[in-house]
Amino acid sequence: MTTSGVFFRTSKYFRKKDNIRMLLLLVPGLVVIVMFTFYPIIKMFIMSFFDWKIGYNQVSPFVGIKNYLAVFSDPIAGIALTNTIFYAAVTVPGQMILGLLAALLINGIRKFGVTFRLLYYLPVVTSWVIVSLLFRYIFSNNGLLNYLLTDVFKWIPEYIGWLSTRWLAMTSTTLLGIWKGIGWNMVIFLAALQAVPVEYYEAASIDGAGSIQKFFYITLPNIKGTILFCTVMLTIGAFNTYTPIAVITGGNPAHQTEIVLTWMYYQTFSSLKMGYSAALSFLVAGIVAIIAVILFKVLRHERI
Amino acid sequence: MKKSKILLPILISIFLILVMVLSGCPTPPAEEVTEEVTEKEAEPAEEETAAITEPVTIHFWHNYDAGAGQIDVLDQLISQFEQANPGITINQVYLEWQGLKNNVVAGATTGMLPDVLRGDIGFVPQFQALDVLVEMDTAFSDYADAADAVLEAPNSTAKAGDHYYGIASNTNTKILYYNKDLVTTVPTTLDEMWATAEEVSSEDVIGFCEAWMGGWNLCQYIWSYGGDILAPDYSTATGYINGSVAVTVIQKLADLYAVGAFSGPTIDPGAPPDTDGMGTGKYAMTIDGPWKAKDLSAKYNDLQYGAVQMPAGPAGSIGVLGGEDFMMFKTSDAIHQDAAWKFIKFMTGKDAQVEMAKVGQMPVNKEALADDEVLEAMPLLSIFADALQTCKARPVTPKWGDMEGIINTKATEAVLGQKPVQTAMDEAAAEIDALLQQ
Repeated sequence: MTTSGVFFRTSKYFRKKDNIRMLLLLVPGLVVIVMFTFYPIIKMFIMSFFDWKIGYNQVSPFVGIKNYLAVFSDPIAGIALTNTIFYAAVTVPGQMILGLLAALLINGIRKFGVTFRLLYYLPVVTSWVIVSLLFRYIFSNNGLLNYLLTDVFKWIPEYIGWLSTRWLAMTSTTLLGIWKGIGWNMVIFLAALQAVPVEYYEAASIDGAGSIQKFFYITLPNIKGTILFCTVMLTIGAFNTYTPIAVITGGNPAHQTEIVLTWMYYQTFSSLKMGYSAALSFLVAGIVAIIAVILFKVLRHERI
Repeated sequence: MKKSKILLPILISIFLILVMVLSGCPTPPAEEVTEEVTEKEAEPAEEETAAITEPVTIHFWHNYDAGAGQIDVLDQLISQFEQANPGITINQVYLEWQGLKNNVVAGATTGMLPDVLRGDIGFVPQFQALDVLVEMDTAFSDYADAADAVLEAPNSTAKAGDHYYGIASNTNTKILYYNKDLVTTVPTTLDEMWATAEEVSSEDVIGFCEAWMGGWNLCQYIWSYGGDILAPDYSTATGYINGSVAVTVIQKLADLYAVGAFSGPTIDPGAPPDTDGMGTGKYAMTIDGPWKAKDLSAKYNDLQYGAVQMPAGPAGSIGVLGGEDFMMFKTSDAIHQDAAWKFIKFMTGKDAQVEMAKVGQMPVNKEALADDEVLEAMPLLSIFADALQTCKARPVTPKWGDMEGIINTKATEAVLGQKPVQTAMDEAAAEIDALLQQ
């Protein structure tokens, strides 16, 4: 038990009235969470078992697990889920590796550290819509990339349809995801790196350890908690991706570049299938929860 | 001292809760605000106040094109209407096509719907199925008079079942636009058009472009070749969307795509959008509505383009009827509905229709269509007028949006060569039949 813990447990200030005071201060936050988080979740869970109608005087019939079965039998939902997993599998490690690399480089320099931090962080604060439009221009058939490859460097005889087919379009979009996320990872990892005691590195140097050994045996184990945090947060973020696909491909051609959120949006507002979308969102939430639990098990943070 | 320790958090909590709850409350209906303002402002001028029996604000959602100058004209028209109808204020809100639909979908649940909406003719059966639209032909005794003033065919799009749930705002269909530098011999038949598309295609040019592959884009070819999408009684799609005519049409498009003579931004997300592609000479031909002329003229002044009626198939040149209708919602009370109806009649009247024609909206008002100013403002009007004689409306069913989505997906798969055309369209027919049976 820590000293502060003992203080609060035995303090004369820690009494029933203080509990009430704390409770009262928590009430506004709780009201917000209940109204805007818990209530919608519960409501959506209920909706997922109904053929939910949105018009006046319309009865929403109970359909049991029909919406969930519809999701499982929907080939486009399968495509969307596969694309989302692909997006997560590429962007999460991509952002983390490059973000960590940037953090290591910035951590090792004495001058211009703030400048580099700012430059790496700039993509994070730019608008998703703007950079998505920019990437669409770069990767379009008559875009910048094809112009450089075919007309300037003449490396390829004719343009490549970067956005024309499913996997090329998904790959192009993941590059945007990685580019935009490096800065955020850099900041998080930089904070973690600066918390690693210098004495460890000094002791390792005395023992004759090289830079690579120091990285694998000192740096990585000491930032394991941060790696877990980034992995979980980025995975959740990847499953919540919407804008880049909506702007760059719009799910085209023939829904082959849909991801779960764009497909959910389409089903909700174009097909008005509220129950289906609610079921899909719960299944996706379940998948994210399972991934998070597995990551916590695998990358359990052990205090050194 | 002890009391104050408890009292302070209580006061803070109450304050924060009130702030959150009140900020979550909707703003007072605009008409209430208007009432207050109008009363205050009207105090010095008693004569005017007498005319304002019940000040009311009408919320009007629309998708008039700001880029084409339509919203500027709308503002002027609203100003005219408000001057002619003291006490009625129009609060216009622009929403793009999908946003308009999404907001009505959301509003159907919350009850926050406008008094008037001007939206795609395809919205009428969809919104009517949500049971949110006013049955206008029974709600207003002079509906028949207002409907008489507009063209019958466009106004038929506002009918669902036995009643009218809207009135036509403007109409359109599609014609062939072609780049004069690329297309020297203008095709008059669809077969000639496909052949021209192949001839003019090269490494830098794609002969023909379609912006999408739904019914809005495919119906015209299938109809013109003598086929259809659904059975006339909407009972089935089998034998129609997967019939020999539809399959032949889509096979033709697939063949053209395979040789680089056909594309579009939804078939290939890397391809330029249709207007930009036409404007930059990437696409040689496209079939589109009257807005295309405005878009091309506004963005690509140097482009030399021509326009003719859509080339004919064996069954003729049968385009797709498009356009927008005015709709009203049940959420409005009688006072708002009356004021909204006044506004709709004004917007479908000759003067407003002439002004809108000057910024690219094809009138439905019969008098406006014959007006010299309209003829001068719309050089392509005669071509569209001819095309309107033979065009057809898409199936009027609440499920049409879903059907279009299915057609787009399956036809795109076929054109991309991912599935044999017959297989893809058989799948489309089966999915549409399942929708029809619901």
